[in-house]
Amino acid sequence: MFPGRRPPFHPADRGLGPNVGYQSKVRVIDRYKVIGFISSGTYGRVYKAVGRHGQVGEFAIKKFKPDKEGEQIQYTGISQSAVREMALCSELSHPNIIKLIEIILEDKCIFMVFEYAEHDLLQIIHHHTQPTRHPIPPSTVKSIMFQLLNGCQYLHANWVLHRDLKPANIMVTSGGEVKIGDLGLARLFNKPLHSLFSGDKVVVTIWYRAPELLLGSRHYTPAIDMWAVGCIFAELLSLRPIFKGEEAKMDSKKTVPFQRNQMQKIVDIMGLPAKEKWPHLVNMPEYSQLSTLSASTHPKSGSNLEKWYYSTINSHSATSNPSSNASLGAEGYKLLSGLLEYDPERRLTAQQALQHPFFSTGDKVSSNCFEGVKMEYPHRRVSQDDNDIRTSSLPGTKRSGLPDDSRPVKRLKE
Amino acid sequence: MAANYWESTQRRHWQFTRQQLEDLRKKLEDEDQNLVQMYPLPQVRHLSIYFNQQVSRIGKRLGVRQQAMATAQLYIRRFYSKVEIRRTNPYLVIATAVYLACKMEECPHHIRLVASEGRTLWPGMYFFSNDTSKLGECEFFLISEMSSQMIVHHPYRSLTSLQGLFSLTQEESALAWSIINDHYMTDLPLLFAPHIIAIMAILLSLVLRPNTTGIQSASGSAGTIANAAQTALGSAGQFKPTGEKQGSTPRTKVQKLANWLVESSIDIEAIVDCIQEIISFYEVQEQYNEKLTREQINRFVKARGLDK
Repeated sequence: MFPGRRPPFHPADRGLGPNVGYQSKVRVIDRYKVIGFISSGTYGRVYKAVGRHGQVGEFAIKKFKPDKEGEQIQYTGISQSAVREMALCSELSHPNIIKLIEIILEDKCIFMVFEYAEHDLLQIIHHHTQPTRHPIPPSTVKSIMFQLLNGCQYLHANWVLHRDLKPANIMVTSGGEVKIGDLGLARLFNKPLHSLFSGDKVVVTIWYRAPELLLGSRHYTPAIDMWAVGCIFAELLSLRPIFKGEEAKMDSKKTVPFQRNQMQKIVDIMGLPAKEKWPHLVNMPEYSQLSTLSASTHPKSGSNLEKWYYSTINSHSATSNPSSNASLGAEGYKLLSGLLEYDPERRLTAQQALQHPFFSTGDKVSSNCFEGVKMEYPHRRVSQDDNDIRTSSLPGTKRSGLPDDSRPVKRLKE
Repeated sequence: MAANYWESTQRRHWQFTRQQLEDLRKKLEDEDQNLVQMYPLPQVRHLSIYFNQQVSRIGKRLGVRQQAMATAQLYIRRFYSKVEIRRTNPYLVIATAVYLACKMEECPHHIRLVASEGRTLWPGMYFFSNDTSKLGECEFFLISEMSSQMIVHHPYRSLTSLQGLFSLTQEESALAWSIINDHYMTDLPLLFAPHIIAIMAILLSLVLRPNTTGIQSASGSAGTIANAAQTALGSAGQFKPTGEKQGSTPRTKVQKLANWLVESSIDIEAIVDCIQEIISFYEVQEQYNEKLTREQINRFVKARGLDK
């Protein structure tokens, strides 16, 4: 299966004897040439690489760093999230999901080799705020949304919840193909042996967190991903997170706090959720907290989303910008409000959203989100500071050019 | 994919023909014939029974659900289709497979706990000064040999969705469930799709009288069961039952199952094949000698220093 590299010992004896430890059949530096460092996170680092044996294209190699106990690096067992990501990525295959090439387990490290994507939504959105705000072309928005939903539909049809959809995790290739990435928090929901809640208490970057999660729901459904997709849609239009709350930290007792600030940001635009429209609302563990939030000016008038939407898509039309998003029109609002529906049971599913008239009215949806776009987006920044993929002693400091939106609080302080 | 067996890595990479499986094992033995001759081992099915017992023992101590234990057993079987058993410490492999399966089946246990349960269960055979690190190392080995393909499809889900269709009683369901548990001691999970296994288990549970308390008590009359099952299927007119004449008034549920099979495009021959395999397993199980199996395993582990 792997091209041969003859180890110095008996080829089969790579097991667990007293003298011979586990050895990988293939070494990452024999297969790939690292050409730069992309980013790092709590899990480890991501490098850009090309193949040494004529493998076509470029690659992103995600390296999970081993836990260190003292100076000696020891095997400590692979984290459950890494195991999930490895298993799911090996199984998934869809044009809108980032493709796994191979996984190499070597030297107590895990190297996941993915196809390389030149852009991500965070970077694209950021680009449109520089030097002044100019909207993402409507055809691009439409194509991104369709592809994103298509990827979600595939995940959900296969009982996979992504649980961490956000602009930084949505990759875009130079050919304009959207690829959902980072399945580090993803998991199967078909037959959880334990309630999905008991596993990991907090999921999804807070700005994209669905209201039912904020209200303490223990039963996750694909609807939580759909809320995040709604937030991403809004962000593609306005170029800033629609609900940019501040995360309340866990207290010393490790109880999960009510995310008041985040919920308030949602209520500011969406109005307070009403039990008439969301029957299970009253059963939410944090239901009582809702009464402590300040309702927007007219409590009974409901949502300000429509106002938000039209002022957003029309904000650039005054300057007679030809790429104004005004053309997204009423169907755009209907799709957005369907995704940002409070009641998870009434929220659009990925399948329903794909059938939405938003995609069948107006211009045809292109499978290349950059089609007809004249300007070019900047390439992913790749630093040369750390090209040694095998060095495991470097601290996991962030070096990428763009802010990481997984730390909203930090970003707000900037 | 995860919900779709047909596109799964299980079907694409971990389903073999008997010949392929035999070739894989032969290749492993041929790699070092000295080793194989020096340390004779019982037949694969007896080893599997032993592994099953050990998985159950550590699983019980950890409070692991049946499905995670089934996953662990499948991991072990996949692993030993690629790695010569005499090069490994099977106790370490078993502990590691359970540890990994628990993470995949969303009921994780801390590596230290799994390691210490192993130490308690298998004193002397599993005595590493750094056993968590050994377990972590073995996890790399296991995942690497499985090419990170860790999502498995079990027949339990097919059984759950079909039991209503065939109006199985609680006893019949329980019996089918235990037959599925037993099939992990055979090569069946590497040979057939999970729904084929589930149908085999349902058919057998119907053919075995529901008043039978368990498969063990029935296994004495394995030949009779096989014949009864074949007759039942044969009555659907799909193939000629061997020898036995038709019309032994199969119960209506069996008839319904047989008719359903004819109308569906399910491979009936595969089901017959499965039935024969599990029946012959129940026969082989009678000759299982736990002490001998343990001694033969422990001998190579000790002699090769795999316990350190």
